[in-house]
Amino acid sequence: MKDCGVFAHLLGARAGELEPEEEARLAAHLGECEACRARLADDRSTEGMLAEGLAEAAARRDFTHFADEVMARIPARAWKEPEHRGGLRALKAFLGRHKVLAVASALAPALAAAALYLFIGRSGVAPEAEEPGVEVVSETLSPTVLDTSDGPIILVNDADGT
Amino acid sequence: MEVDDLALLEKARAGDAESFRALVVRYQRKVFAVALGIVKDQDLAWDVAQDTFLRLHQHLHDFKGESAFSTWLFRIATHLSIDAVRRERSSKKEDLDTVDEALVSEGADGILATALGSNPQESVLRKELVGKMTEALGKLPAAHRAILVLREVEGLSYEELSERLGVPKGTVMSRLFHARKKMQALLRGYAGLAPSPGRTAESEGSES
Repeated sequence: MKDCGVFAHLLGARAGELEPEEEARLAAHLGECEACRARLADDRSTEGMLAEGLAEAAARRDFTHFADEVMARIPARAWKEPEHRGGLRALKAFLGRHKVLAVASALAPALAAAALYLFIGRSGVAPEAEEPGVEVVSETLSPTVLDTSDGPIILVNDADGT
Repeated sequence: MEVDDLALLEKARAGDAESFRALVVRYQRKVFAVALGIVKDQDLAWDVAQDTFLRLHQHLHDFKGESAFSTWLFRIATHLSIDAVRRERSSKKEDLDTVDEALVSEGADGILATALGSNPQESVLRKELVGKMTEALGKLPAAHRAILVLREVEGLSYEELSERLGVPKGTVMSRLFHARKKMQALLRGYAGLAPSPGRTAESEGSES
């Protein structure tokens, strides 16, 4: 069949890819050409095998790190930070705009520690040696308690010790 | 429920790294398969697949939705694959074609169809031949690998092939025919199917 050279190239066409006139001539040719029918049968019997073969080859490959490698090649600045990290970023921006507050915030723990130290020092818990005069005066004016059958009697000494 | 491509794309455009990563994971093997079919070397296909996703990231805002997202992505992959083959070819000055022309021209048409049987999807032979596909592709010239992958994996029409490859539609049809003939000849070889000496192919054209 001498027209096979023309029609064989049309065999792989999908529906709608040929002009209606070409389709009609191809159909007529196939009706009378066994060789072209055999070619068409081969095309159809192997349809999809290429895609399957490549998919199988891809399935055999280890892709565990593929996405990581891609992501590592994209600059980090291309991405928006996740929500929880975005909150920290907003806090930093706020403190940047309010520097006095920022300094106060940074010093707050140290100030609190100093205040506590002073409070403890003034409340008398400190060692005796630090305020010896107070103890002497206290001893001089300390009351005497008499335990009687009618109850305790408290005697307050005078300033001269009597 | 799986998030659709466009939803992930929108989030990636807004700077969501995890959405972009999800697109990479979803398509990495398919993009690799397309690249492998064209460049034939596994490591080069890996590099091309990675470059495809980097290019995707650079052009996230260029996708207009005129085709499916996957079509657009595979277009990037095939473009980069063909570029990679050109670079390789110009550096090595070779384009291997190890298909035995005698197998192609001795009129063996129909043998594969007969061997694969009336239900080729279930055939054991078919499974064996699928496993040989990448090896067979590797024996074809780059132009034939590219057109087969574009047609059978990416599913391009004659018009789209003509546009993508920059050749007339007639050349597309002829090149595709010869690429298939060579591929089928290789498959017959793998299947141990000798060509029938009694039949002659009258359809060899000028394009190969």
